[in-house]
Amino acid sequence: MRMRYTFELFREYLGNYIKTKLTYRADFWVEVVSDLMFSLMNLIFIFIVFQHTPSLGDWSEAEVVFVYGYFMIAQGVFSCFTNLWNFGDRYIIKGEMDRVLTRPAHSLAQVMLENVDPPSLIGSLVGLGIMGAAWAKLGLTFNWYDPIVLIVMVIGSVLIYTGLYTTLAAISFYSDSPTGIIPLMYNIQSYGRYPIQIYNKGIRFLLTWVLPFAFVGVYPASFFLERHADRTMAWLTPVVGLIVGAIGLIVWNRGVKRYRGAGS
Amino acid sequence: MLAIDVRQLRKQFNVQKNREGLKGAMLDLFKREHTQVTAVKDISFQIPQGEICGYIGENGAGKSTTIKMLTGILVPTSGHIEVNGYVPFRDREKFVQGIGVVFGQRSQLWWDIGVIESFRLLRKVYRVSEDDFKRRLDELVETLTLGELLNRPVRKLSLGQRMRCELAAALLHNPSILFLDEPTIGLDVVVKTEIREFLKRLNREHGTTILLTTHDLQDIEALCSRVIMLDDGRIIYDGGLEELKARWGKGREVQFQFNDPIAIERLAFLTGGLDVRWSKENELTAKVWIPLEINVSDVLSRVVGTTDISDIKIFETSTEEIVREIYRTGSAETAADRIADPVRDEEAPTAQAEAVRS
Amino acid sequence: MISAYLEFIRIRFLMMLAYRVNYYSGIIIYAINIGAYYFMWKAIYGEAETLAGFTVIQMTTYVAVSWMARAFYFNNLDREISNDIRDGSVAVQMTRPYSYLMVKMMQGFGEGLFRLLLFMVPGMVIVTLIFPVTLPTDPVRWIIFFVMIWFSFLINSQLNILTGLFAFFVENNEGLMRMKRVTVDLLSGVVVPIAFFPEWARIVLQWLPFQAITYLPGSVFTGRLNGAETWNALLVQVVWFAVLILPILAMWRAARQRLFVQGG
Repeated sequence: MRMRYTFELFREYLGNYIKTKLTYRADFWVEVVSDLMFSLMNLIFIFIVFQHTPSLGDWSEAEVVFVYGYFMIAQGVFSCFTNLWNFGDRYIIKGEMDRVLTRPAHSLAQVMLENVDPPSLIGSLVGLGIMGAAWAKLGLTFNWYDPIVLIVMVIGSVLIYTGLYTTLAAISFYSDSPTGIIPLMYNIQSYGRYPIQIYNKGIRFLLTWVLPFAFVGVYPASFFLERHADRTMAWLTPVVGLIVGAIGLIVWNRGVKRYRGAGS
Repeated sequence: MLAIDVRQLRKQFNVQKNREGLKGAMLDLFKREHTQVTAVKDISFQIPQGEICGYIGENGAGKSTTIKMLTGILVPTSGHIEVNGYVPFRDREKFVQGIGVVFGQRSQLWWDIGVIESFRLLRKVYRVSEDDFKRRLDELVETLTLGELLNRPVRKLSLGQRMRCELAAALLHNPSILFLDEPTIGLDVVVKTEIREFLKRLNREHGTTILLTTHDLQDIEALCSRVIMLDDGRIIYDGGLEELKARWGKGREVQFQFNDPIAIERLAFLTGGLDVRWSKENELTAKVWIPLEINVSDVLSRVVGTTDISDIKIFETSTEEIVREIYRTGSAETAADRIADPVRDEEAPTAQAEAVRS
Repeated sequence: MISAYLEFIRIRFLMMLAYRVNYYSGIIIYAINIGAYYFMWKAIYGEAETLAGFTVIQMTTYVAVSWMARAFYFNNLDREISNDIRDGSVAVQMTRPYSYLMVKMMQGFGEGLFRLLLFMVPGMVIVTLIFPVTLPTDPVRWIIFFVMIWFSFLINSQLNILTGLFAFFVENNEGLMRMKRVTVDLLSGVVVPIAFFPEWARIVLQWLPFQAITYLPGSVFTGRLNGAETWNALLVQVVWFAVLILPILAMWRAARQRLFVQGG
């Protein structure tokens, strides 16, 4: 019942998004192009690095590119639904949260829906293409269950991102000054797409258990890479996703409670 | 039945203290200091269904905080609060289904697309059935004359047009209570009048309870049978508008325009024995201040017969002056004493003012 | 007049101090960035002694110093300006008796100064303790380095102002700002030193202003540029600073024209 209601709302918000974007058609394409440029820049980094070394901690160029393709898929889906970059500014400082709280739907669902960003999904498609190309280049076998596993992994990764960024956005409920943490975090998330083995213990621990960005890249992607397959870590992706997602929701709810003056 | 029932409602905030200067800022980096501010101090009031109530007070008096508690946005620090049979903050999602909220300074409509699209979305959000929505929309389009606005993007609307749409948006789900925060701010006189007429009609035809905050006392005069006045988090007046005027409107002023220059002493002599005060505006104009106990006609009869007068104007103390006067007289306690106590003695049914002392 | 501008620097400095969540998280995130890049470069080097003329130690020093320099020159002037333009407050700013762009520069400098003193200095101390970096011993080199990052700040801010001013001419410059950000990070040499780029890209990059932001001061600091080359690098920065003034003035003039015609 509740899911259906939220889903229907999603359709409605999406409709309004599309209508908005149709009034600014040029912007739509600028956004798509800038998204893809962003990914291209990261690929360029990988290509430059592999001009100077045949392997990165035993991973070949195609393997690193494969992981990057996976990362792009998850990243695209995530950006489509969780667009909280200016949450603190728009909803807390400018006060739009008050309006959200006078509506009969969960506040996080409303805020997420108000900011849906479908062009990001194009990034996912490109990522899928990159992954496919690397798949072919590496000559990996294709099993019937691979697409299903991919979907489960992507859902897990997206949940991790959503949980983490929801948590970060919820900081705005506690601090009345603008927080610039989210863009800073953006830098860190990129480290999850390189072979985790190259880092020292501390950073490995950080990327696995504290800010589990490695589950949005190298761990789940390794499932398909026969040479580096780490089944345990790969299958932990949906589990960690559920945990981090739940944490995000809890922190958000507590934040809202505090915003409303009920929490401590 | 009561639409709003508030008892001993209190709200405290922790406010960050910023220490001064570079050294202070450095200290703040490591240890923040907080002060506790009580925005709403144990207020109580009841609003029956179908009433239009004005909620006034200076900036920072606690108006918005109260509205936010009544609409379920904020959770009170202590006290009892019940709106529409719900405790607003507890069952927020169910509760807000039955209320409409308009924040005059903030839009609830999508900026870039036609107004109707926002309405459709709100229909889904509030789970209004297609039939009800149609009926309701038709009615609102007619009463607010939204006809040709529906397909225009919000950014292309004037402020007055936008406010009409905001009202419609808040009423699509037919709420039984409407909260308005500064609904006429920044609007021109014509639009203000239109909106007031609409609200009156809404109240008359649907029995919608309306609580509005405003800085424009004409809103109050045009709409409200009841006023709640807030100062520094406390209610300093709660009662009918007429009582407010009767109790605080201390007198009237009459301005005379004479045909020949006249000395003020002579005028004072004419009204000798009456407790009035004359002041001279210029050679040919004088003003007299007459307290409530004295009939204006008594004064007029003494002046009119003996002097050559070209024009007379009578000024009644406006609500605005009354309110300004109340705030000017200093602390909330004294003002509350002076207004509320006699009201309580008379046991006036509409006035339930309480002088709250902490 | 000067004292008014100095006041803007002071105010922004104090503002930065007020955002303490940003401060603490910023330190941690910069440390993680440097750490992650350090290990990534270690993996890229593998057994190799030098790559593209960089020794491992030089590379480590370069990574550390370029991130630290980034802390100083980085600012969000593009976003601030485009927000001012979109909400119309730029028109109000123009009625004040100062130069709007100068004020923005000063605010950016206040921000940079804050990060220099409270970020870069303690950060550099920590980094030298943890990672094998070699700091220059020659005091002249230190002085030149600081002069150079001053120009890094100027040039980066100029690029930000240019990007921000685009908001006058397009409905939404969000994509453009994102693109600029990625471009500066990649092409200025924070992510990869320009020496690692392929030959053709190096030639192209020599004619672009980005290298002046990170790569040149980083190269001077790590001792890869010496003697006359140092002065040459500084000269390149000065020239870019002067050249970039022209498009800014042109755009500003066009923008004001537009503002007068459209009435904000």
